[in-house]
Amino acid sequence: MIDKETAKKVLNQLLGSGGQFSELFIQKKVSNSLRLDDNKIENASSGFEIGCGLRLTYEDSTYYAYIDSIEESKLLESAKILRTAINNSNINKSIDLNDSYSNYNIKILKYPDLIIPETKKQILLKVNKAARDKSDNIFQVTASLSDMQEEVLIANSEGVFAKDFYVKTFLAVNIIAAKGSEVRTGYKSLAKSMGFELFDEKKPEDVALEAAEIALNMLDAINAPIGILPVVIGPGFGGVIFHEACGHGLEADAIIKNASVFKDKTGCKIASDIVTAIDDSTLPYHWGSYKFDGEGSPSQRNILIENGILRNYMLDIKSSKKLNLPLTGNGRRQSFRDIPIPRMSNTFIDKGSEKPDIIISSIKKGIYAKEFSGGQVDPATGDFVFGISEGYIIENGILGNPIKGATLIGNGPEILNKIEAIGNDLDYSPGFCGKNGQSITNEVGQPTIKVSAITVGGTGA
Amino acid sequence: MDYFSKKKNKNNDIELAGKVSMLMDKSKVDEYEIYISSSTDNEIEIFEGEVESLSYSDSKGIGIRVFKEKRTGYSYVTSFEENKIIDCIEKAVLNSKITNAEEINGLPLRSEYRYTKEADIQKYIFDEDFFKVNLEKKIELAKNLEKIVKGKDKRISGVDSLNYSDNYSEVTILNSNGFEGNYKNTSCFLFLNIISKDKKDTSTGFSFLYERNPQKLNLEKIAQDAAAKSLMLLGAKKIKSTHSDILLDSLVASQFLGIIASILTADSVQKGKSLFKGKIGEKIFSRNINIFDNGIMKEGFSSKPFDAEGVNKGNTQIFKDGILKTYLYDCYTARKDKTLSTGNAVRASYKSNPGVGISNFYLEPSSDYSFDDILKKIDSGFYVVDIIGLHSGANPITGDISVGAKGVWIKNGNLDFPVKEVTIATDILSFCKKIETIGNDLKFFPSAGFIGSPCLHVKDIVISGI
Repeated sequence: MIDKETAKKVLNQLLGSGGQFSELFIQKKVSNSLRLDDNKIENASSGFEIGCGLRLTYEDSTYYAYIDSIEESKLLESAKILRTAINNSNINKSIDLNDSYSNYNIKILKYPDLIIPETKKQILLKVNKAARDKSDNIFQVTASLSDMQEEVLIANSEGVFAKDFYVKTFLAVNIIAAKGSEVRTGYKSLAKSMGFELFDEKKPEDVALEAAEIALNMLDAINAPIGILPVVIGPGFGGVIFHEACGHGLEADAIIKNASVFKDKTGCKIASDIVTAIDDSTLPYHWGSYKFDGEGSPSQRNILIENGILRNYMLDIKSSKKLNLPLTGNGRRQSFRDIPIPRMSNTFIDKGSEKPDIIISSIKKGIYAKEFSGGQVDPATGDFVFGISEGYIIENGILGNPIKGATLIGNGPEILNKIEAIGNDLDYSPGFCGKNGQSITNEVGQPTIKVSAITVGGTGA
Repeated sequence: MDYFSKKKNKNNDIELAGKVSMLMDKSKVDEYEIYISSSTDNEIEIFEGEVESLSYSDSKGIGIRVFKEKRTGYSYVTSFEENKIIDCIEKAVLNSKITNAEEINGLPLRSEYRYTKEADIQKYIFDEDFFKVNLEKKIELAKNLEKIVKGKDKRISGVDSLNYSDNYSEVTILNSNGFEGNYKNTSCFLFLNIISKDKKDTSTGFSFLYERNPQKLNLEKIAQDAAAKSLMLLGAKKIKSTHSDILLDSLVASQFLGIIASILTADSVQKGKSLFKGKIGEKIFSRNINIFDNGIMKEGFSSKPFDAEGVNKGNTQIFKDGILKTYLYDCYTARKDKTLSTGNAVRASYKSNPGVGISNFYLEPSSDYSFDDILKKIDSGFYVVDIIGLHSGANPITGDISVGAKGVWIKNGNLDFPVKEVTIATDILSFCKKIETIGNDLKFFPSAGFIGSPCLHVKDIVISGI
């Protein structure tokens, strides 16, 4: 990494043609991944990357370049080239860098680079065995284990000098089960911002069994019904609906571009009274947590919606200046190769008071959507689609047959007003979110919730 | 900030590969492969007449694959000092200790190539004129597009996204079996997503364009496409659930075809993850459909002389008259099925091990029916203009497909009124059987490969609405 003096030189070099804001983002990353498929450890891969992203802004324009090096001479040379994008008189700005402070502090116990490859291999073999031992109907197990250790340094012309260190470990299990001509799949993952103590908290075998159970349960699935029905959405990954259908519209770049249904709605009632939604990048060890965001702003807990009223957007430096709103620590980027943009961290609907089984029992005919394969949304309209990967019919308050091939389609703002009940079983689920070609780690979350009406798309009657 | 004049003469990657191979020779592995990719990228985003962001990058990485005692290991690095490369080699060797040994592991041999003649494709995928357009001109081009599209109609309220990007890249492969190859590639891409509004409704419409050099980009065309799409959908209504014929726009059909493509790789078949397992020789489509994976198509954006492990690319017919003829192979899967590699080894970047994937994969258009001819044949049906949620709504392993759709209702052969918030659901094999008519308007969708289809008339699909 580089020291404050070098950082200052580069930041000043960038401003040399009259730019208003300069920034450097240095990243050093070591990663490993291991993949099991078809009863074999199929490949093992490691990577080492180091580089620096340089950002320069003038009025509303951002200029960005990166290099695969952190050598002072190369940084200065790149800064000199980048600044030619601006043709202004140079007002000498004195930069005073101060160590940034964050409340987020965690302790890593088992650093991935100290774990021998054989131990990692054993984790995947355990996953494979546990899943296959569960039932003869399990015919394929694919599992991958990845870890990474990453050091970052962010400095900008406004005085930020922030250092962060991340450790992340991720296990994903895909199961295929078959019975006769029916083929079903199940997926579960376990991921946290920690080392291999992750597997002291939860056994890899348990992840395998959960994934296997989904595939096995779905073997008896009937075709999903079609039409408008009340839907109970399960805890944890069910939060992906809020993430997609509302979260993206609350990212401030969408507001600036006039591409969000939530523009000019702060202080307005946008959801049922019982809905409180939060983006919290300070949850210790969570997959979407950090000490500093990709611009060196400390992580924060932000209330997005409070008792149905829109309170806050999620902002980065650029949108915070443009909208004249305080920073929220949501300026994130995939790597030194990318411009930071407003992104979610751990985003969830907060817990309510009702018991999940009571929520289900309140429905005469509907759907229980327990797990999803993901979804997509058009933030400008709020229209969304979600694929249900594990779902059941609810009949007279009781869970019935599993359903296959079901999709939920609707409109985010409309659904927010149709949330009729919120459970007390808040849970989170890790994943990756893609936006503008950048993939970052996120968590979604929610308790069990009941939505009075959503269009269910299947092939059944 | 005109980098290209400066960066056009790249460091010689072949020379770098040679240096790495000298270090490899000391590493006591049985076989090795060095994959180097260099890439120069420019990206310009325009918003309300100004440059929203402009980024430039110049990057390079080395991926090293080793085989030792029939086990394989992989590692990559983006620093090229000797000690960093040696670390990278050591990690690859270390990784090889924990993977399974298999007799069929190893680098490709010439005798395993299905296409023995190396295609002369370099001149089509690299355009010298790419370097004639400087950055100012590219910015001007992008700003112009914003003006053109906003002038198309009063109801166009704004541009959600207007993005110009281009790329000059070079791939070099050197392996211990004596293969040494290198190719260069230029491309530029425009993406436009606009928002239209009237008193009651908001709709969006996107379009994109790609060329080998920026001078060829037709701004009028992309503006017209996005505007037409967005306006066509303005004022859309929800409809009652029903069964009906659908007419898939060629770009939507391409996305459906992408789901089918993903389970035609020998890898997915051999691992039991494909509905096409054991179906060679079977008639999958009701009509006489021909599907190709053509890795050496002149106008194809996935064209290259050799694949990600150095095997010659060629033109593979996967379906002939609706009958499944072959899967797509890399060297490993070909050995497993005792056949030859079709040159379908792919990798996302130097960071990844090669796997099996498509190149330019397309459904051959008919010469008989235009879009309008097909439209006229449909008494009542749904013209699907755009789909959302394909990744979450389609499961290639089980075959289930259920996606959100927007489009226009068809009545007596004419477009009647716009429709939103419906899903269309089917499964892959029924979908193949239900294709009734194939259009002549082949269009390609850039995805994990380059996937193309004409518009398709599909019979009797379940539509879920209110």
